[in-house]
Amino acid sequence: MIALDPATNRPKFINVRVKRQDGPGQEPYWQLFKIDYEPELNVITILQRIAALSKTSDGKAVTPVVWDCGCLEEVCGSCTMQINGRVRQSCSALVDQLLKDNPDEIVLEPMSKFPVLRDLMVDRKRLFKALEKVKAWVPVDSYYDMGPGERQLRAAQEQNYPLSQCMSCGCCVDSCPQYTKIELQRRSGESDEAFAKREAEAFDKAFIGPHAISQAMLFNNHPTGKAIAGERMEALTGPGGIQACGNAQNCVSVCPKEIPLTTSIARAGRAATVYTIKKWFEK
Amino acid sequence: MSDSNSDSSGQPSFFTKHEFAIRRLHSLTGIVPLGLYMCVHLTTNASLLNGPETFQRAVFLIHSPGHLLPLIEWGGIFAPLIFHAGLGIWIAKTGRINSSQYRFTSNKRYSWQRWTGFIALVYLFLHVMHLHGGVHFEGWINAIDKVGLGQFRPYNAGSSLVDAMHRGYGVVWPVIYLVGVLACVYHFINGLWTAGITWGLWISPNAQLRATKVCVALGAVLTVISLSAWAAAVFPSAEDAAKMRAVEDRMYEEGVEAGTVPEMEHKRDLRNRDAIDEADEEENTQASKIQFEPAA
Repeated sequence: MIALDPATNRPKFINVRVKRQDGPGQEPYWQLFKIDYEPELNVITILQRIAALSKTSDGKAVTPVVWDCGCLEEVCGSCTMQINGRVRQSCSALVDQLLKDNPDEIVLEPMSKFPVLRDLMVDRKRLFKALEKVKAWVPVDSYYDMGPGERQLRAAQEQNYPLSQCMSCGCCVDSCPQYTKIELQRRSGESDEAFAKREAEAFDKAFIGPHAISQAMLFNNHPTGKAIAGERMEALTGPGGIQACGNAQNCVSVCPKEIPLTTSIARAGRAATVYTIKKWFEK
Repeated sequence: MSDSNSDSSGQPSFFTKHEFAIRRLHSLTGIVPLGLYMCVHLTTNASLLNGPETFQRAVFLIHSPGHLLPLIEWGGIFAPLIFHAGLGIWIAKTGRINSSQYRFTSNKRYSWQRWTGFIALVYLFLHVMHLHGGVHFEGWINAIDKVGLGQFRPYNAGSSLVDAMHRGYGVVWPVIYLVGVLACVYHFINGLWTAGITWGLWISPNAQLRATKVCVALGAVLTVISLSAWAAAVFPSAEDAAKMRAVEDRMYEEGVEAGTVPEMEHKRDLRNRDAIDEADEEENTQASKIQFEPAA
């Protein structure tokens, strides 16, 4: 069904333009690849064909394009990249659909907000640091049996389930105009530890991103998770917190899991208002 | 990229530490006092359409605090405005506009919020210099009057406003005001909508959609008011201004006599008084003619 109608003229070739980069901090460059058309390809198979070919459209032998992938069914988030200018998972990006929108070529670029490691592979460390910052977990250590947890109301379940589908892919932050790239250069003679510390400090001050705000709301609404709700609110109202949101609302538009991120952001805004006023009077 | 500002060894600056509160204050000042003030200001100006008396009455009321007025102006308008603008520039610099890549309506609104903010900042500076002059020192007002700035005279409100618009070939200022006022209206209404999300008033997509409709309606009303205010200042001719001036002078003189208007000669338009006196006489003779007619 998805494949182009065989009656119409199928293309013989697919042009794939890839933005490549040999290593962190190096200059990116473009290469054009030409692969044979096959029906029902996805972008991952295209990258596999390119790897097998290892040749640009003008016949120059090149190293295979590097990319990251895991589950191949849009639940791990690791194959996220910019396809035709829009951030999404390459496993669920179907070539026949892409060719319908733009029959001339498919453009692949790495995510724009994370440091490129090589070609289409990026370092998404900051994404996970933000989850650590808002303590996006249920604080139990599992040493003792604490008995059954508090009963969750159906309405709360229905509110929480969509938020729990987040796979930390980074589409939301990549499309967010308020989330800007942080790429530090290692200073000469700087140790691994010193560099990691400097990087963590830079991450700490920068915007945490929609995914972390949404996860904070998920766990603040969880019967056990809410035990440390105040700590999450401290993180949300601290440096790089919810105040950095500019309400462009791209996050909710690009989220592959259709998570109501802007609803989470508005709820976090209300929670932050109440929390700050309470703190003001109670401290 | 962020290399330079990551040198501070762990100690966040005052601004970083209180960023949340400072940005909430930015959001608040945009609505109260600035947005609210703009609504009152535009409505007052639009009242000129009803005649110079209505407008002049409103300006007398606004100027009734007398010597306290500069305090109110600076504390209630200029200081919040400078804070809002300064922080606004910083906020705009923390983002990277990408509405050409992600063409969603809300993303375009985000970009426009920043562009109109810059337009509003430049425009409001020009507007304050053009009509108000910034500070009330007589020497300063006289000096900038020579280059066509500080043109407004509160006790000749309508006429000095109309005359000020006629400067610059009668085109330059009207165009600046049209663009500037519309940018301000957009910036305020869109800011009101995003503030509702920021403070957590409208949360669900449905609630945000309803809020959008209310804001669009508010924006439409405010646009009509602002265009009325603009038209009332731009369209009257020099003769209309002279007639307005006669009315204003009469209101001032009678007001001072009645004790309802504090006597402050420097708030009157005393430039080119000869021409005005002529117009006054003409007005008086016309008035006397009208008065005599029934008797004849």
